[in-house]
Amino acid sequence: MIAIERVSHRYRSASTAALDTITLDVGRGSLFGLLGPNGAGKTTLISLIAGLIAPQQGHIKADGQALADFRRTHPNAIALVPQDYAFYPMLTVAENLAFFAGVQGLDRRQQQARSREAIRFARLESVDRQLAGELSGGLRRRLNLAIGLLGDPTLLLLDEPTVGVDPQSRHFLLDAIRDLRNSGKTVIYTSHYMDEVEAICDRIAIIDHGRVLAAGTLAEVLGAAEPQLQLRLDHDLPQALLERWQAAHTVTTPGTNCVCLTPVPVAALPQILHDLAAHGLTPLALNHGQQNLEQVFMHLTRRSLRD
Amino acid sequence: MSAARTLIRLAALWRKEALALLRDRHGLAALFLMPAIFILVMSMALRDAFVPGVPADLGYAVVDLDRSEASQALVEQLAGVDLLREFGALDSERSGRDAVADGRIAFVLLIPQGFERRLGTTAAPAPDTPGLRVLADPTVPLAVRNGFRQQVEAELTRLQLGTLLARIGRSLMIPELRDVATKAPPYPVFVEAVRKPTAAASTRSASALPSSVQQNVPAWLIFSMFFVVVPISAVFIAERQHGTLQRLATQQVSFGLILAGKLLPFFVVNQVQAVLMVLVGRYLVPLAGGEALTLPTGAASLLALWLMSAAVSLAAVAWALLIASSARSTEQATVIGGVGNILMGAIGGIMVPQFVMPAGMQPLTDLSPMAWALDGFHRVMLRGGAIADIVGPAAALLSFGLAALVVAILLNQRALRALR
Repeated sequence: MIAIERVSHRYRSASTAALDTITLDVGRGSLFGLLGPNGAGKTTLISLIAGLIAPQQGHIKADGQALADFRRTHPNAIALVPQDYAFYPMLTVAENLAFFAGVQGLDRRQQQARSREAIRFARLESVDRQLAGELSGGLRRRLNLAIGLLGDPTLLLLDEPTVGVDPQSRHFLLDAIRDLRNSGKTVIYTSHYMDEVEAICDRIAIIDHGRVLAAGTLAEVLGAAEPQLQLRLDHDLPQALLERWQAAHTVTTPGTNCVCLTPVPVAALPQILHDLAAHGLTPLALNHGQQNLEQVFMHLTRRSLRD
Repeated sequence: MSAARTLIRLAALWRKEALALLRDRHGLAALFLMPAIFILVMSMALRDAFVPGVPADLGYAVVDLDRSEASQALVEQLAGVDLLREFGALDSERSGRDAVADGRIAFVLLIPQGFERRLGTTAAPAPDTPGLRVLADPTVPLAVRNGFRQQVEAELTRLQLGTLLARIGRSLMIPELRDVATKAPPYPVFVEAVRKPTAAASTRSASALPSSVQQNVPAWLIFSMFFVVVPISAVFIAERQHGTLQRLATQQVSFGLILAGKLLPFFVVNQVQAVLMVLVGRYLVPLAGGEALTLPTGAASLLALWLMSAAVSLAAVAWALLIASSARSTEQATVIGGVGNILMGAIGGIMVPQFVMPAGMQPLTDLSPMAWALDGFHRVMLRGGAIADIVGPAAALLSFGLAALVVAILLNQRALRALR
């Protein structure tokens, strides 16, 4: 559906590139998770696919067509659901839907039909005459999503669609996004919630500093990650042991008396247990195996705080 | 893109603006309630200032220390002039000074002892002989003070002439000769406002001066038209801040289409304002005791009025779009737009008529688009002008609007470039 080929982009005021020779493929009908810390380049990539900005280098193709041509021939095929509540708080839910259907050039009959369908999909029937500004956070997210569906797009760009909602609304939104994928739509989904991405995305890409760090199916990304050992100890890790392990592993300390070592093949486990005993330490908990998505993400993007 | 699709998109944008405005109570108040109240209040407050011959609430009193036939004749002559309100006589200079100092009376005329004796002599008066004195409230404008003094001098001249003619009459055995100067009413002088000949068909007399309602309706209408800056910037900045413009851009709604989506609804709003303010001037002001607004009746004048209203509207909406494009928040737009409007109104003769301003300040009015607008409306409403007479002010307003629109577009393009 979308082929991103060696795309680079640098903002006029920036000293470094927001995107640096990115190459990605988003298959038709897939639910593609785009992950990255703040400032990684996710929004720039979404803006490029949405046609808000044009790539300075490289190409983006949609169904084999240059993106600009595709957008011209299929004006409503790509829809963006931004992270902001991009609608009019002084209009009712129904009025907002009618407006956004209207600016897509749909005639009155189509506007009504699509609005009804979007209201039904997002379960907004009970609030369709309520002012959008008076809705709860969850209902606002649902309206934001419903507006994105009005043009019956084939590609939906969802920018953190579950931020700031209660668990019930979050589950509803995730189910709705799955339904959209099942109905044949292609969805590109950005989020900071790794469990969401693990739960619903069939393909993911982790990007940082404008580069793709990992991409593929969830199994491929997790499978490519090196095995990790997590330890919870009865005492602090002595400095001498920390330095010894750092020579062979990446060592992090995610909590009090907790240590993470990567990579740790099974063959290395006896030596680590021996080291602990030699320093008089007892492991209270030990977990060895494949990393989950959050661990992979943290490992790839490092733990430094981002703006 | 087909014309039908463009029209559907524009209709959606227009409907959205209309709904947003209808739910913006503050915006509606600024556009409709504020000018209606201003027209009503200002038309009443300034009613007398625009009507000749009616004494303003300024008065004078006389302290006659001479108590002679001549001094009494002067008092009667002054009372016979439709000048200022007459408060009658005071008994002493002290009471006269107190009345003026307290602000109860604007002027007190002091007629000294020996007034009649001196009036009839040709000999040079002794250096310490007091003349007529006028005690004046310092808050009374200089022009009014001079006017009162000139009227006293004129009546004094009539009195002196009468005294002279009385003497001649006695010599010639024609006693009534004195009455030629003192009893004959002053020869009347009328002020006539000169209009274009086309205004002769107006329901209002062509020779009458404009009333305050005729000054105030166009002035406050123009002022309120420029207040579209409040609702336009509120919606536009919210669209920018909440990502709605971004969403519209992904739906390939161009910035030009968005501007067009705002121009027409607010143009219509401005025209509704014009009709309502005319109705206020015509029907509401008379209910409050003021004079009814009169409009020229000729088709050419009415068309000229509408063209002026259209030119003001385009300038006002473009100005609002410029403010909305340059401000970073709704609060900033409200302050910049509001203060800008008040400044344009203040120097443009909306709040204070240009002729009241000091001479050094009057050229500043040429800088205000509101002054161009007021000039255009006055050319039609007060001078009975037609389309040819408003070409200048209308062209100035359209140029201002076009320049504001171009700058607004450039500002938006620059903001877009900064995102790329």
